[in-house]
Amino acid sequence: MSPRHVWAVTRKEIAHILRDRMTFSLVLLVPVVLLLLMAYALTVELQHIPIVVLDRDRSAVSRAFVQGITAGDDLDLYAQVEAMDEIESLLVRGEVKAAVVIAPDFGRQLRGLQGIPLQVIIDGTEPESGWFAVDHIIQRAEAFVLERLTPELRSRGASAAALEPIELRLRTWYNPGLEPRVDLVPGLISLVMGLPAISVALALAHEREHGTLEQLMVTPVSRLELIVGKMLPYLFVGLGDVLLLPAVARLWLDVPFHGSFPLFFVLSAVFLFSILSLGIVLGVFIRTQAAALALGFLIILFPGFFLTGIFFPIASMPEVVRLEALALPGTHYAIITRGLFLTGVGMDVLWPYAVMTFGLGLVFTVVAALFFRKRLD
Amino acid sequence: MLSKIWSLIVKEFIHLRADWWLPAFMLLGGVSELLLVGWATSRPITNLPFMVLDHDRSRASRELILDLENTGTFQRAVLAPDLEAVREAMDRGEVNAAVVIPEDFSEALNDPQGRATLPVFLNGAESIPANTALRAVEGVTREIDEDIIASRLSLPQERWESFDPSLRVWFNESLSEALYTTPAELALMLEFTVLLFAALSFARERELGTLEQLLVMPFSTLELIVGKSIPVALIGFADFLLMLAMVHFAFSVPVRGSLALLLVLALGYLFVELSKGLVISVIARTQHQAFLLVMLVGMADFMFTGYAAPVESMPEALQLFANLVPAHHWLEIVRGILLKGAGMEVLWPHVAALAVLGAVIGAFSLRFVRRALN
Repeated sequence: MSPRHVWAVTRKEIAHILRDRMTFSLVLLVPVVLLLLMAYALTVELQHIPIVVLDRDRSAVSRAFVQGITAGDDLDLYAQVEAMDEIESLLVRGEVKAAVVIAPDFGRQLRGLQGIPLQVIIDGTEPESGWFAVDHIIQRAEAFVLERLTPELRSRGASAAALEPIELRLRTWYNPGLEPRVDLVPGLISLVMGLPAISVALALAHEREHGTLEQLMVTPVSRLELIVGKMLPYLFVGLGDVLLLPAVARLWLDVPFHGSFPLFFVLSAVFLFSILSLGIVLGVFIRTQAAALALGFLIILFPGFFLTGIFFPIASMPEVVRLEALALPGTHYAIITRGLFLTGVGMDVLWPYAVMTFGLGLVFTVVAALFFRKRLD
Repeated sequence: MLSKIWSLIVKEFIHLRADWWLPAFMLLGGVSELLLVGWATSRPITNLPFMVLDHDRSRASRELILDLENTGTFQRAVLAPDLEAVREAMDRGEVNAAVVIPEDFSEALNDPQGRATLPVFLNGAESIPANTALRAVEGVTREIDEDIIASRLSLPQERWESFDPSLRVWFNESLSEALYTTPAELALMLEFTVLLFAALSFARERELGTLEQLLVMPFSTLELIVGKSIPVALIGFADFLLMLAMVHFAFSVPVRGSLALLLVLALGYLFVELSKGLVISVIARTQHQAFLLVMLVGMADFMFTGYAAPVESMPEALQLFANLVPAHHWLEIVRGILLKGAGMEVLWPHVAALAVLGAVIGAFSLRFVRRALN
C-alpha cells in the first residue's frame, strides 16, 4: 500500500466534498442536530398525564383522595364523569391515559380500615403513561391509607418503624439523579457517529452509478488503497464530530465527562475506522445510492438504535439477537462512550471493547477488499 | 396525458428492475427490519446481572435473594465478597444493581419494633435497566413488608391485600409489549420508506444529469411529478401491506377496527409524506443531500409522534406544533384502528387534521416542485 496512492484518492475525495459545501456541512452537522433532537425528545419527563375520575362515592374522603392524586404536576384531572361508557369513549379517543373508578362505599371502607375499593384502568396502547399514572395513584393511595391507619396502629402500640420493616437506602453511582439524559446522550453519540458510514457507502455507490469506478480501477491504485483513500476523508469529518459532540453534550446538555478525552478521541477514531469499513462493505455490494441507503438504514441505523444496548439492555435480548448485537461495532463503542463519560474508567477496563471494535473493523476491511475485485470482474 | 404518465411509470420500473436490490429492500427490508426491531423491543427487561453482598447469611437473607431472582428481572445473583468487588463490577459495567444485606437484617425483621436498612446500589450509567432493577427490588421488599406488618399487627393477610387497588388494562389485556411497540413501528416504517424514496426521485435524476433530458421531452411538469410519484406510492403501499400482515401474524397484533378504513387512510397518509419527500428531492442537489435532509425531517417528525415521549408532557408550544406533524395523527389512527377498534366517529379529528395538512402540504409541494423543475 503506497501512501502516495492513498493520498491521491483521498485528495480527490476531499475535493468532491469541498466542492459540495452543502453536503459537507450536512455530513458534519446532521449528527449534532440529531443528537440534540433525540436528547430532548427521548428524555421528556413524564408529567401532566390526563386522567378521568368516576367518583361513585362523592364523600369528603373520596374528594380528598381525588384532590390528592391530581395535586402535583404528575397527573391532570381531565374530567369527572358519571358513567363507565364516558370513560370508555375518552380512552378510545386517547384523550385520557388512565381512569380511576371509586366505589360507592370508598369512604366507609376506608374509615373502617377494611380496604380501598378503587379501580384503575389504563390505556394499554400507551402503557408508559398508564403505568406512570398507576404508580402515582398507588403511592398516593398507600400514603392515604397509612395516614388514616396510623392512629389505630399507634393505639395498638406500633411505632413508625414497625410499619416499614425494610428501609431501602438508595445509592446511584455515576448518575445520581438517574436522569435518563445523562446516560442516553453518550449512547446516542455512538448512534449518530454511525452516519458517516452511510455517507461513505453513498460515495462508493456514487462512483459506480456514474461509471467512474471503472476509471479508478484502471489507475495504478490498488483495491486496498482505494478503500483506505475513500475512507480517510470521512474519517476526518467524523473526527470533527468527535470534537463537536462531546462539546455539545458537556456544554449544552450538561452531561458530565469523567474519563480521559485523548483516550475518547483515539477510541472514537478506532470506532470510525470500524463503522466506515462496514459502510465500505455496503458500498461494495450495491450498485446504486438508493440501495446503499436502504442497506444503510437496515444494517447501520436501525440496529444502531435498537440493538446496541442504548435503550434496551443486551442481557435481556434473545440469544440470536445478542450475537448480532455483538457483531455491531456500535455495541462496543456505546460501552466505551458510557464508560468514558460517566464511569470515568480507562483502558484497563475498556480494552476488550476497543479490541472488539478494531477487530470488527479489520474483518469488514478484509471482506470489502476481497469482494471488491469479484464485483468488478 | 395518461399514456405519457404511463410511459414515465414504465421507465421508473425499468430502473427498478435494473437495480433489483432496491425494490427488494423496500419490500423485504421494511418487513425484516420490523420483525427484528419488533422482536427486540417487544420484550420486558429481564435477565439483568446483579450482585448481592450478604453479611447476614440467614434464612431471611437467602429468601430475599431467592425472591429477587424469581422476579425474572434479574439473573442468578453473583455473591460479592466485599463492597470493593461491587464497586469494581459496577465500574466494569458488569452489573446493573447490587443489594447489600446488613448483618442485623434478620434480627431487625424478627424484632416487633425493628427496621432493617437495605442498601441498594444502582448503576446509573444505564438508567433504564437501573430503574427496572429498582422497581423489582421495591416490589420484592414491599411484599416482605406486607407479610411482616401483617404478622406484627396480627392482621389477616387478605385484609391487607384489599388495600391494593384493582388494575385493568384496556385494549391490551395481556399487557403484551408487542401490541404497543409494533403498531407504532409499522406506522413509522411507512413514513421513512415513502419519505426516503420520494426524496431520492428527482435528486437522482438531477445528480445523474438525466433531469434535463426528461425536461426537454414532451412531458408537462405535472405529468413528471405524477409519473415519479406513482411507483413510490405503489411500492410504499405494497410494503405497508406486507408489514401489516407481518405484525398481525408474527406479533398477533389484532385489527379490531375496519381494515378497509385503515388501508384508505394509509394511502392518504402516504401521499402526504410523498409530497414532503418530493419537496426534499428538488431542494437536494444530490442523493446524498436528500438522505441527510430526510434524516433531519424524519427524526424531527418522530419526536412528535408520541411514540418516543408522550406529547402531553411537552411544553405547550411543542404540543401545538405536534398537531402540525402528519405522523402524529397517523400514529393515533393506526393505534386507534388496530388496538382500540375505533372508527371514523372517534378518529375524525385526526383524519380531518391529516386531510387539511395533506391538502396544504400537497398544494405547496406541487407548486414548489413545478417551479423548481421549470
